[in-house]
Amino acid sequence: MSRRITRRDFLEAFAAMGLALPGPLALFDVKHPRGLDFNHVNSPTPQKYLIETMGGGVALFDYNNDGLLDIFLVNSGRLANPMRAPETFDRQNPRNWNRLYRQNPDGSFTDVTKEAGLANAGDGNYGMGVAVGDYDNDGFPDLYITNYGKNTLYHNNGDGTFTDVTAKAGVEAGGWSCSAGFFDYDNDGHLDLLVTRYMIWDTQHSKICGGEWQTYCPPAEFPVTTNILYRNRGDGTFEDVSRRSGIASVTGRSLGVAFADYDDDGFTDIFVSNDGMRQFLFHNNGDGTFTECALEAGTALTADGKPLSGMGAVFQDYDNDGRPDILVTVLPREVYALFHNDGNGSFSYHSLQAGLGLLSAASSGWGSGLEDFNNDGWKDLFVAQSHVLDNVEAIDPMLHYKQPPLMALNHNGRFERADSGVTAAIAGRGAAFGDLNNDGWMDVVVTSLGGEPLMLLNHGGSGNWLSISLRGTRSNRDGLGASVQVNGQKRFATTAGSYISASDKRLHFGLGTAEVAKVEIHWPSGIHQILEGVKANRLLEVREPEKS
Amino acid sequence: MIGVFLSVLLMLQASEPPALQHVHVGVGAEKSGHLDEALAEFKKATELDPKLAVAFTDLGGVYIEKRDYAAAITPLKRAVELSPDLDAAHRLLGYALLAQGYATEAIPHLEKAHAEDALGIALLDAGKLPEAVAVLQKVLAQNPNDPELLYYYGRASGLLSKQVFDELEARFPDSARAHEMMAQDYAVLRDVPNAEREFLEALRQRPQTSGLHLQLGELYARAQQWDKAEEQFQLETGIQPGSAEAFYRLGEAQLQLGKFHEALEALVHSDHLREDMPETLYQLGKAASMDGDDKMAQKYWQHLLSLEKDTPLAAQAHFGLSGIYRKLGEPAEADREMEEFRKLQSKPGHTDVSPN
Repeated sequence: MSRRITRRDFLEAFAAMGLALPGPLALFDVKHPRGLDFNHVNSPTPQKYLIETMGGGVALFDYNNDGLLDIFLVNSGRLANPMRAPETFDRQNPRNWNRLYRQNPDGSFTDVTKEAGLANAGDGNYGMGVAVGDYDNDGFPDLYITNYGKNTLYHNNGDGTFTDVTAKAGVEAGGWSCSAGFFDYDNDGHLDLLVTRYMIWDTQHSKICGGEWQTYCPPAEFPVTTNILYRNRGDGTFEDVSRRSGIASVTGRSLGVAFADYDDDGFTDIFVSNDGMRQFLFHNNGDGTFTECALEAGTALTADGKPLSGMGAVFQDYDNDGRPDILVTVLPREVYALFHNDGNGSFSYHSLQAGLGLLSAASSGWGSGLEDFNNDGWKDLFVAQSHVLDNVEAIDPMLHYKQPPLMALNHNGRFERADSGVTAAIAGRGAAFGDLNNDGWMDVVVTSLGGEPLMLLNHGGSGNWLSISLRGTRSNRDGLGASVQVNGQKRFATTAGSYISASDKRLHFGLGTAEVAKVEIHWPSGIHQILEGVKANRLLEVREPEKS
Repeated sequence: MIGVFLSVLLMLQASEPPALQHVHVGVGAEKSGHLDEALAEFKKATELDPKLAVAFTDLGGVYIEKRDYAAAITPLKRAVELSPDLDAAHRLLGYALLAQGYATEAIPHLEKAHAEDALGIALLDAGKLPEAVAVLQKVLAQNPNDPELLYYYGRASGLLSKQVFDELEARFPDSARAHEMMAQDYAVLRDVPNAEREFLEALRQRPQTSGLHLQLGELYARAQQWDKAEEQFQLETGIQPGSAEAFYRLGEAQLQLGKFHEALEALVHSDHLREDMPETLYQLGKAASMDGDDKMAQKYWQHLLSLEKDTPLAAQAHFGLSGIYRKLGEPAEADREMEEFRKLQSKPGHTDVSPN
């Protein structure tokens, strides 16, 4: 297969000739594509309402199945100073709409929000995040929007439009929802939904903290709450099984969620990041119930037994040992937590071994991903960064509110800082990952609180790659929950993870110099499928066999 | 018999000068807590005998009891005029003047009365810091558990220290020590760039000064710049090979950087220099555990637990041991350590991580 010459190739050749490089080898180009004109509205007020600093979800998904990733961006809304009941966030104002941008073949985007039927976000809803999943297995990805207020499920009608089916589906949740994710916990072929909720809070019971600094309060100032698990009945409706399943047996201040089958028992487990307390690991017992076992499994606290300000979460295998590990992004002076899966149902704290002590101790992380950005066969780390407090410099000059994202390349399980190409510091929040231009190199869209999103297009390079699209038959249609191994690397099929964001459902593998691959898939149905001699540098659609 | 005794007593009183009689009645009233009555009696005594120093002293004393220091000053001044050797009058006058902010004026009276606690405070308030420190140190040696004295001693020492440093800065503004002090000031303000600049200038002038690399390393550590911190701690261990703290800090930085083997070496060295420091033992266990030597980690944490039972470090050691036992496939031991950890976490001053 002939390969295009990328800017990266050019730069590497330049360097090999001993010539001065025209610039550093940044991984991404920061693009401002035509038509992508979103501006996040969070309306910070002197009231320091905590919701102001938490929003900015983004999804990368192909809503019209034209083969190009589209972008959905969650807006938050207008806050008054102070807010008075009944609460409205002026969501009818186009400035405050969530937005769907359809990607055009030339890489530009068209705002199709109104024609898609997504303009009305609900006046009582202050927007947070988004989850993507084909909950009715009709081949078109659906959208679930989380809010402070009520959440919204939009059914993708397959004709470029969406219908709000929240009431019929019974998934509005209520309270303050943050991250959400579709997954099939009972392997019945229908995607269920996990919704994290941050705390019991409302604008009428808000507080300002920090004394003379007048800033946002720490989470411990507000009561904990439960997360919600909705079981998909398969008829377009869901039932709340939070209590029955054991998900609501613990209360927390949950922000992130990520899925993987960490003990290889064939059932998807759940990791939930909590802010300022221990983290949750829900082991799927395989009978419709979960057991929260983070403390026993070693994913609740740091190596020193200290709680984490858990925000974003990723559940993927970073060291290619075939077992999914857990990454949690946190506040400065804590170090992003990396829990290494030791293989016997337990994890070890490996942040320092992996180099995160140097890379992250001064940073605050939100949206995050473990993706192979340089196609060398190792998953690299990208984190959207920014402190929670918009006046943190005044309180502690050693810290910064706006920060550039962290880009770190994975060298045999140890991360080393790389140049992302983003020179400006931003108030990073959401981050979604996918191959926007289908060139075989993973791209990123990062949101900025109260600002414009950044689209980071990967320069590309010399490594080979394989992108796999799963087509479930007995399993859910997108094969979410499948475990896919390619030339010794494993990925868990999911659109969830990161922070309040949803990523491309396709599974991307960097192959390095390998030109063929062995693909091994464990479908949620239990079917085990092996494909040998798969050629590199292509998008491979794999259909689940009807029988094993 | 009782009747005879009372008659004699009445005769004696009748023979006492009237001013003194009022003094006696006043003293009785004061003892009974009737301060206004005492005040009236002492006033009458001073009117009847304007040269009776004891009456003026008692009058001033009652004003002080009534917290009316301004009113106390005039009768007490009169008392010391009349009787310059009356220590009680000097003491009370010193108190009253000090309470009214006339510290300099109070000093000779307090000196005369040997009221050293108040004298120390007066010297402090008058800005005579070296003298204040000396006097307060002496009084504190006699009353080591007096929080007021501890406060004033600390304040006097701090101000004296600042005064000396200000003088150093003013007289030798470009000296290494002046740059070091400025660096410390910036460090307190968390101004890393300026603190770093000043430390580096101090080091440029006097590269072998003990403690400078340590302080710069600590600045970098607080800013989470662990690679730079490691470099500075490494340099400090070269200058101060006997400093347990420098080796401890070096080990801590190397641990943060994932250099577990080097961290172990530095921490072992620190432990040799100053044995049985709980912080060092904890970090030794952590470094050993992360370096893959669970047996050694177990040894250090168990040793720490033999020294400390219910501190946050003990809780952390239990947590670490629980992880080791889990890894070793000893669930009962792991559960036991986790239970100890949970018990300690639920105590005040610890972070509660118990399930809800």
